Amino acid sequence: MTIIYQLITVGIILLVAWNLFREKRLAEQMAAALVLIPLILRALMIR
Amino acid sequence: MTPQRKYGTWWTALFLLLLVGGVLLIVSHDFLAMRVDLPIYPGLGVTSTAMLSDYFAPLKGTAADTMAYILQGDEPGGTAFVLGGTHPNEPASSLAAIVLIESARVTRGRLVVIPRANRSAFTCSEPQEGYPQTYTIETANGSREFRYGSRGTNPVDQWPDPVIYINAAGQSLAGSEVRNLNRSYPGSPDGNLTEQLAYAIVELIRQEDVDMAIDLHEASPEYPVINAIVAHEDALNIAAEAAMFLEFEGMQIGVERSPDNLRGLSHREWGDATDTLALLVEAPNPAQGRLRGRTSVELIVEGIDPFYVRAAQRGLLYVPFFEAGHPIDERVGRHLQTIAMLLEVYNEYTDKGVVVVDVPTLSSVLEHGVGAFLLQPNTTNATN
Repeated sequence: MTIIYQLITVGIILLVAWNLFREKRLAEQMAAALVLIPLILRALMIR
Repeated sequence: MTPQRKYGTWWTALFLLLLVGGVLLIVSHDFLAMRVDLPIYPGLGVTSTAMLSDYFAPLKGTAADTMAYILQGDEPGGTAFVLGGTHPNEPASSLAAIVLIESARVTRGRLVVIPRANRSAFTCSEPQEGYPQTYTIETANGSREFRYGSRGTNPVDQWPDPVIYINAAGQSLAGSEVRNLNRSYPGSPDGNLTEQLAYAIVELIRQEDVDMAIDLHEASPEYPVINAIVAHEDALNIAAEAAMFLEFEGMQIGVERSPDNLRGLSHREWGDATDTLALLVEAPNPAQGRLRGRTSVELIVEGIDPFYVRAAQRGLLYVPFFEAGHPIDERVGRHLQTIAMLLEVYNEYTDKGVVVVDVPTLSSVLEHGVGAFLLQPNTTNATN
């Protein structure tokens, strides 16, 4: 079950990162970068 | 309508991604540091150690496996068990157990001590509570750090929480209680990690033929069960007599009978599932209360909080609370004196006594500080 959870999280990370590079508004880019932090910590099961 | 300015480029995205990487490095280092057990220095009284997985093998290699310290006396007798660190946000519980490991000796019978019952819960702190990751106790030879953890098993080790948790004893509880060791007894060999941990502790009590088992806790000052011994009905007489003698010695303490209909707690399930005399002891910890002010190392160690003083003046608390607060010295001292008294009373009624010496009293811990009864950081025989 944990591996499925991690795969879903990795999928969301990729989508957010894709959005980070496609987004033209700096504020939206910063929001995407902020969202990435807890997602990556979860995917790596650090927190 | 003015057009929205767009300053975002691939380069800003790349810069932000690097920034994310930097933040991740710093916070990961902090979070992962909590998974390293801080050292315990076994004293001369410790004759051997065992892992909880020795009593229930599937626990081996998991975050829940934890060390038990055994203090064996020369004279044969009974076996007593002290469990600290069920809830790592109740620090006097673990610290009192560590003082026993580092200071006490057994002349008759055997004492088994686990200082980090829910080891996984020591590896994280509660979200949104602002708890420090460690607190510091001053010893004669410098400062020693101890972990301040969470009430429940680390969600990294046990996930997800259900909406409603029904424990092995059939009690329905809030979902987050699924990670609470003291709601998971008697545990289950094929349950979740916390239930397996609970099962292993019950197995230790069975396999070591423990005569008296004491679970150490702390409670917030507004919680009704505080400064109290909670006793299974089989241990009620001993608890009542011990409380009476403790009152004679000037330590205010009450006795509560373990409720029949609140299942999953140590004082109920240890007593029902095994032949042991099951007891739980509570001390007052303002750092875990809802009425507290700033959460800090000082609050954990010194136990001073002006908001609790005001709450006490309004009659909202179940313990007296003055400007001097409830320092960790007092809370650890209370636990140690209660353990000593429970054993003393138990020894009067059995041929299988457990005689533990060099247990600091409440007054000696208040006078010298708990650090005086801890071994020094430069001692070489540290265990993690």
